[in-house]
Amino acid sequence: MVGVVFVWPLAVSVAASFTRAGVPTLGNYTTVWRLYLRDVGYTLAVSAAGTALTFALAIVVCGWLRVRAFAPVEFLLKVPLFVPFVVVGHALRVFLVPWAPALAGSWGGLVLALAWKHLGLAALLLVGAFRAVDESHLEAARNFGAGTARLTRDVLVPMSAPSLAVSAVLIFSSMLASFSIPLMMSRGGGAQMLMIDVYYRFGQHGDFETAAALGVVGYLMAMGAALVYLQRLAPVKRP
Amino acid sequence: MLMRALVLLLVLVVPASAATRLNVAIGADVNVVEVHKTLLGPGFKAQTPDVELNVVGTGTGEPASRAIYTKIRAQADAGRAPWDIDVALVSMAVASQMVKEGLLLRYVPRLKNAALVKGAEVKEAFGVNVDGYVVPMFQNQIAIAYNPARVAAPPKSFDELTKWVAANPGKFGYNGIKGGVSGVGFTMGWVYWKTGLYKQLTQGPFDRGREGAIREAITALRDFNRNVLITNGNAGTLDALNRGEIAMGVVWIDQLVAWKNEGRMDPSITPVLPAPGLPIYPLYLVVPREAASKDAAVRYIDYIATPEVQAKAIVERFGWYPGVDPDKVLPLISAKSRELLFKGVSAEDLARYSRQMPIKEYHDLIALAYEEIVR
Repeated sequence: MVGVVFVWPLAVSVAASFTRAGVPTLGNYTTVWRLYLRDVGYTLAVSAAGTALTFALAIVVCGWLRVRAFAPVEFLLKVPLFVPFVVVGHALRVFLVPWAPALAGSWGGLVLALAWKHLGLAALLLVGAFRAVDESHLEAARNFGAGTARLTRDVLVPMSAPSLAVSAVLIFSSMLASFSIPLMMSRGGGAQMLMIDVYYRFGQHGDFETAAALGVVGYLMAMGAALVYLQRLAPVKRP
Repeated sequence: MLMRALVLLLVLVVPASAATRLNVAIGADVNVVEVHKTLLGPGFKAQTPDVELNVVGTGTGEPASRAIYTKIRAQADAGRAPWDIDVALVSMAVASQMVKEGLLLRYVPRLKNAALVKGAEVKEAFGVNVDGYVVPMFQNQIAIAYNPARVAAPPKSFDELTKWVAANPGKFGYNGIKGGVSGVGFTMGWVYWKTGLYKQLTQGPFDRGREGAIREAITALRDFNRNVLITNGNAGTLDALNRGEIAMGVVWIDQLVAWKNEGRMDPSITPVLPAPGLPIYPLYLVVPREAASKDAAVRYIDYIATPEVQAKAIVERFGWYPGVDPDKVLPLISAKSRELLFKGVSAEDLARYSRQMPIKEYHDLIALAYEEIVR
């Protein structure tokens, strides 16, 4: 089953990326190198900045929520989970255009929209991870006079580091693969997110082969992040 | 794309009750789908009661036409007949590819209105001989729209346009080549103007020796773009014009007229067609080679090609230019529609400055140069 629905299509698209009109070639990757190298860097940078912004916000809010549980805020924080990507892109664009038109179409606007959308997922994962930290540790720190910020920085974050790392990998991979938000927010020129390039190659040019090569580059980028995730999942061998 | 093809498949396999079922796949926006569902379909059914229409839209832009192509290509590759699309509305690029690959029926000679199907674009598209395979449902012209309150003298030529843009940085917008065909068309118009190679680029044969001139033109476009706002699509340009973010922009005339009709656009925004012109881009009605209901398909297209239907449904209702012989259609439209249609861009302008898209090899070469140089 896994072979049919996952491995087979993956293998077909990887194979397609090494052919052109049925002839084996590396030409599609040359095209990616020549035309889309900048976009690969841009995609990595936007995803990294988006992940960083998401965590900068989520850690502060989730730390506060762990220390003083407040259900309405927690609920609000998770709302983005249920808002479709296209709606987020459209809403942020409509929101930003009147007073910051330059930001709406720039990488900054994109990072903002991606962070907004992923805040819900980050909150879900982080609140869970922070709640897994035993209350006795917090009590001990409080006895020495630690406030919420200090508790978050010196107790919650270090003790949840493995879960935070896994969450970061998931969110980073999701941003790498984002399509609807960049489609709604980007302009027709300048650097683009990689999935927009994939769409452009086959949508405008019917060029499935270069689109497949771009897809493989996307797999590889996500794979780097996934390796970290898998390492975390692997059972730790103790001496 | 796959999802679109699946949806298309699901919709098309729903069993029909009427004697003849006509599956019509529309590779265009919802407004075009609506014309078929609410105007053309019922009108045709009144004449031909034994035919039941099943109209399906596949999305917008080139990908919509590609979804239709992918489905027909897959059925052809599977070697099974008949195919389940009887009439399709596809872009010039996809229609020419389908003719080249032998996927279409040469049906135009069977039309009663065959004599009305005329013009360069029904003979050749992207360098492929499409004669007999296509009927444009309507013509759509790319033009430059401007706000008269902010542009005293609209540019009559590309030369004047570049001067205006240099004097008014950031006040001219278009959507690049990744945001829709109006930007692609503007780029082609720019290359025609800079290289002076319109005839060669549209009629071929392909000569790689022209690459230098093309790249030079695109380099000039890169410099021009420094003072230009690149919008995020055809609608994005109209939106920026409406908000006053830009004073001039590249638009589809039909979209401008439609937005004005819906009250979504400042009615004073006017189109102009500067010399040496911008491309016109028809959407073609085609019949797949192995369509199940070929006869009904041909009759339906014949109905759409009737001058009265063109005048009422295509021109008056939607502000599109007629797909068939304008000499036969335009005398039938009202004075008000005529004024709206030709405000800013006269019939003479169209005759002089409507340009074809280049042949596929040059089209791809120009798009590639744009991606490499302008970025």
